[in-house]
Amino acid sequence: MIQEITLRQTLPRVFEGMEHDSPVRDSHIWLQEVSFTRGGFYLIEAESGTGKSSLCSFIYGSRGDYRGTIEFDGTEIRNNSIDRWCELRTHSLAYLPQEMQLFPELTVEENIEIKNHLTRHRSPQWIRRTLERLEIGHKLRVPAALLSVGQQQRVAIVRALCQPFDFLLIDEPVSHLDARNNDMVASLIAEEAQAQGAAVIATSVGNKINLAFQSVIKL
Amino acid sequence: MRHSLVWQLLKRNISKGQLAGYAVANMIGLSIVLSALQFYLDISSVVESDDSFISRDYIIISKKVGLAGSLLTGDRADFSKEEIADIEAQPWTRRTGAFTAAAYSVSGALELGGRHMSTYLFFESIPDEFFDITPRNWHFDPATDTEVPIIISKDYLTLYNFGFASSRGMPQISESMVSMVPLRISISGNGHQQWINGRIAGFSSRLNTIAVPEEFMTWANDNFADTPVANPSRLIIEVNTPGDPAIADYLRDHGYESAGDKVDNSRAAYFLSVATAVVVAVGIVISLLAFFILLLSIYLLLQKNRSKLRSLMMLGYSPSQVARRYYMITGGINLAVLAGATTIMLVASHLWQRPLEALGIGGSSPLAAIAAGVLIMALITGGNFMAIARNVRRTFPRP
Repeated sequence: MIQEITLRQTLPRVFEGMEHDSPVRDSHIWLQEVSFTRGGFYLIEAESGTGKSSLCSFIYGSRGDYRGTIEFDGTEIRNNSIDRWCELRTHSLAYLPQEMQLFPELTVEENIEIKNHLTRHRSPQWIRRTLERLEIGHKLRVPAALLSVGQQQRVAIVRALCQPFDFLLIDEPVSHLDARNNDMVASLIAEEAQAQGAAVIATSVGNKINLAFQSVIKL
Repeated sequence: MRHSLVWQLLKRNISKGQLAGYAVANMIGLSIVLSALQFYLDISSVVESDDSFISRDYIIISKKVGLAGSLLTGDRADFSKEEIADIEAQPWTRRTGAFTAAAYSVSGALELGGRHMSTYLFFESIPDEFFDITPRNWHFDPATDTEVPIIISKDYLTLYNFGFASSRGMPQISESMVSMVPLRISISGNGHQQWINGRIAGFSSRLNTIAVPEEFMTWANDNFADTPVANPSRLIIEVNTPGDPAIADYLRDHGYESAGDKVDNSRAAYFLSVATAVVVAVGIVISLLAFFILLLSIYLLLQKNRSKLRSLMMLGYSPSQVARRYYMITGGINLAVLAGATTIMLVASHLWQRPLEALGIGGSSPLAAIAAGVLIMALITGGNFMAIARNVRRTFPRP
């Protein structure tokens, strides 16, 4: 279980040499000390090109092109073994990447199943019910390639929830959703996070997910 | 369902043609290696068995007898301890055995068809392990035995039957008949004389001599020798590499002679082993190339699937979970190749069995060749697995 994620003096390598310029100068995350605590809802507001997707990748451990440190409960994450990362990604860290990373040739059901079979966290009934709740239940057997971006976002959200988590990283989860769908997704995520006592870290460049954020941080 | 889904994702880019190409190439390579190995084993089972046309493991050497040397200077054509040590130090020597000559007089008498015949004889002995035959009761204990077993050269019997007997109207005799003829042996020297029974125990095609057990020779030399036992004048050498030209060179340089033309004949065996080595090498080269074809094919496959592999591992799949199917494919193909190559080897060895049998060669068990195939395949598969594991782990998303 992860209680706290801490960033110390973290800076993407692409911003090296621009420490005194915008956007690094005005950032409340880069080159600062920031902590995210389990249970909290955080919104990271950013403009395009300020490194918000990079931040999610850094925390999820899928990229290492930054300087400074990122710690999970005081442990520098660069030292994590492959096994440890696999363990974290199935039990502690859930992630919805901005590009979603669905497999286009697999159906909606298979895209979710491929994650759920790894974690064995959700029942088929829960999956079907949740897809219906997000109004995409009828797309169960449709290949992901044939879905609209907004539908893909909702499938990816359901897939991200198919695991226990302490932190849910959602990178622009509702960029292609209207206000009504935004509300549906937000209430689902809030329910699931609160049920597990987990934190949510959401990013947004404009259309932000409608959660009750305790903290809004400017990137 | 999880693995079938993962597989459904990853199998798309697999090129059946590439894998089939690898399988065929490797099967050809491995078949050549195994068949050559089996052929070599079949042939060398003959080289190792005694009394056969290809038995070149032993050579018997002596010094050239010079006319002036022996008559005028009194130099004996025998081998000193230093010379024997030098021969034993040669890389092609496995071991040497000395012919011990009798330092006493021997004569033999026998009754054949009512006629009494007697002749002067000579005895030699060599260590037992150099005989090509091991007759029954090949030992002699002076305290209890009254009969000494004798091995004579097969050539002597042939000479008698087809040279002497046919021209003099004497009966031809078989090996078993000879063994039943009672021999009376007289040994004398050092002021003593003793009669003892002799029995022809066997015929050697390797040794051109009349041989008695070493125990008998030691006892007789101790009791009947007029002079101390001289250095051996003949040596039998068991060689590691039959037909090695180095042997002939060495003998020529030192003025030694080998009995018969075995050194020359053994070149055939030498060429055989060289030819086999060449064929095995060609097979290994083909197998190696095939191994690299598979590696390249796997690399290409992993490269094409790189983003999918990465996405799977982003979901939490471990490298070994996503690589599992690749291991299974590789292992399966390699197992099939091994089975195919083993079958080809067995069929081929069956085909050459008949011509070899006509030459009196029995063939050997295919287990050694099969074990070699399993070993080679295990190495190849291990190499494949390591390449897959390394490649997948490199794709793993981590800081």
